Amino acid sequence: MARTLAMFTDVSLCIGCRACQVACKQWNQLAPEEPEWTGTYQNHHHFTDKSYRLVRFFEQSDGQGALTWHMMSDVCKHCAQAGCLEACPTGAIYRTEYGTVNINQDICNGCRYCVSACPFGVVAYNEDTGTATKCTFCNDRIHNGLGPACAKACPTQSIRFGFRDELAAQARKRVDDLKRMGVKEAQLYGEDQSGPVGGLNAFFLLLDKPSLYGLPENPKLPQGNVLVDSLLSIGAALMVGLGAVVAFRDRGGKGSA
Amino acid sequence: MEPGLLKSADWPFLIDLYFFLGGIAGGAFVIATVATLLDAQRYRDLTRVGYYLALLAILPGPILLTVDLGIPSRFLHMLMVSKPTTAIGMHAINIGPFHLKPFSPMSAGAWALMVFSACAFLAALLTFLEDRGNPRLGTTRLVIGIVGGVFGFFIAAYPGVLLGATARPLFISAHWLGALFLAVGAATGGAAIALVLSLVGGQTSDSLSRLMKVTAIALVLELVFLALFVVSVSATGSRGIREALAQLLVGSDAIFFWVGAVVVGLVIPLLLQVGGVIRKATPGMTALVSALVIVGGFLVKYVIIVAGQRVLS
Ligand code: SF4
Ligand code: SF4
Repeated sequence: MARTLAMFTDVSLCIGCRACQVACKQWNQLAPEEPEWTGTYQNHHHFTDKSYRLVRFFEQSDGQGALTWHMMSDVCKHCAQAGCLEACPTGAIYRTEYGTVNINQDICNGCRYCVSACPFGVVAYNEDTGTATKCTFCNDRIHNGLGPACAKACPTQSIRFGFRDELAAQARKRVDDLKRMGVKEAQLYGEDQSGPVGGLNAFFLLLDKPSLYGLPENPKLPQGNVLVDSLLSIGAALMVGLGAVVAFRDRGGKGSA
Repeated sequence: MEPGLLKSADWPFLIDLYFFLGGIAGGAFVIATVATLLDAQRYRDLTRVGYYLALLAILPGPILLTVDLGIPSRFLHMLMVSKPTTAIGMHAINIGPFHLKPFSPMSAGAWALMVFSACAFLAALLTFLEDRGNPRLGTTRLVIGIVGGVFGFFIAAYPGVLLGATARPLFISAHWLGALFLAVGAATGGAAIALVLSLVGGQTSDSLSRLMKVTAIALVLELVFLALFVVSVSATGSRGIREALAQLLVGSDAIFFWVGAVVVGLVIPLLLQVGGVIRKATPGMTALVSALVIVGGFLVKYVIIVAGQRVLS
């Protein structure tokens, strides 16, 4: 495997211009959609089959009338342990040599299991093609040394793309700097490779707790349940089997015809 | 864990139907096999009905699943892929052009459906041939019965494990769905055999009372697993997960859950059975209890899937 590539999104630098969202739509030739009124500048409540990048806007009240305006450009996390990939029964979802997670559109048969298996609600089902779709980190671009369209378009370098180890070092330094400047809640999300789902290859610097941004505090790999659930099912099978043996064994007893 | 913004696969009614029929097929097959292993002669009618029902109930399975795909012509992709196993997930196995992903219940389930359908077909065929006076193929029948029984359990249980391996708030910390679905499969499978036997008549009162006994045991297990499911999910302490559970227990799905699944499907049949149907299984009462169990078995799966898939704003 080549060196892992990653994306670092620093929300403290985001100005909410949505250049990334537009660049993503254009490069990936994603069809237009009906706009959604969400009450803020955010267009679309959540990722769709035609919006792989989404700038989210949040207003946070301190309870005394002061508002903080948060904005964050969200994307597929290309999880080190990816729920979508593990769920996919066809093998359409695969890991590239760069550690990213893609959906092969020629293999996907549209079962939609991945849609419900992503702990971040990223994958979306496209009714027109009958397949599941999501961000690929611009697979075509990164295989030609260009870097994803969103990172290229971002005017403030809120979105950075590069080798994971280098970006992680930058991210850790940035969070220290911010803390020193008095931004107490600044924190990294998904940078830690020993953390939940083995770390995210798209990790974030957040200015408050993850749930403010609609991110799970502690994402879990859904397939972690499979072994336990299967063992419990086997236990249940033994009990039912035993019950059936008991019911059919006592010969000539009560109720015999 | 507090779930974030999630999406739902929005599986339609077809999938509920498949999960329900698969449970009946698996349960009926297992019960027929146990009965025939213990006394082939005495439970001849029961076994025949069980194996025929298993085949009938599993036949629509592959069709329902294929119709639901975004690209039905690609149904074979469930079994075949052109990628190295290292790129497609934990412990994936390649044999020739085929692949199996043991940690993807949908992949494992697709294979199990193949094997089980084959066993259900062969068991029904052998039963048919024997009824036509062909000699009993002792060992073959035994092997098919046991292999089919193991996979029958699998077919009944795996949809629960499959739901448990999603990020849906109601399911992400649930561990008892596989066991629950298995118990529902056994109960509905036993009830389906009893319903047919009680309707076609014949000297079946012994078989009926024994079927009522298996069904009652399965219902008790179902009740226990259902309670464990609810208790373990509510114990996670996460607000998002509690909200998803509330949708099932007190929200718009609650009426199906309490009235349909619990009262009609569990409490009434259990009371009737304990109250005497097991001891004296008249065809009329057996048919009634069986029908209730089948309806309740459908509803308990249905309401759990629907509540789990609902995206709460
Ligand atoms: S964020 Fe979701 S879609 Fe992206 S890799 Fe992780 S599990 Fe898959
Ligand atoms: S919808 Fe496509 S990509 Fe998603 S799990 Fe099914 S086959 Fe795999």
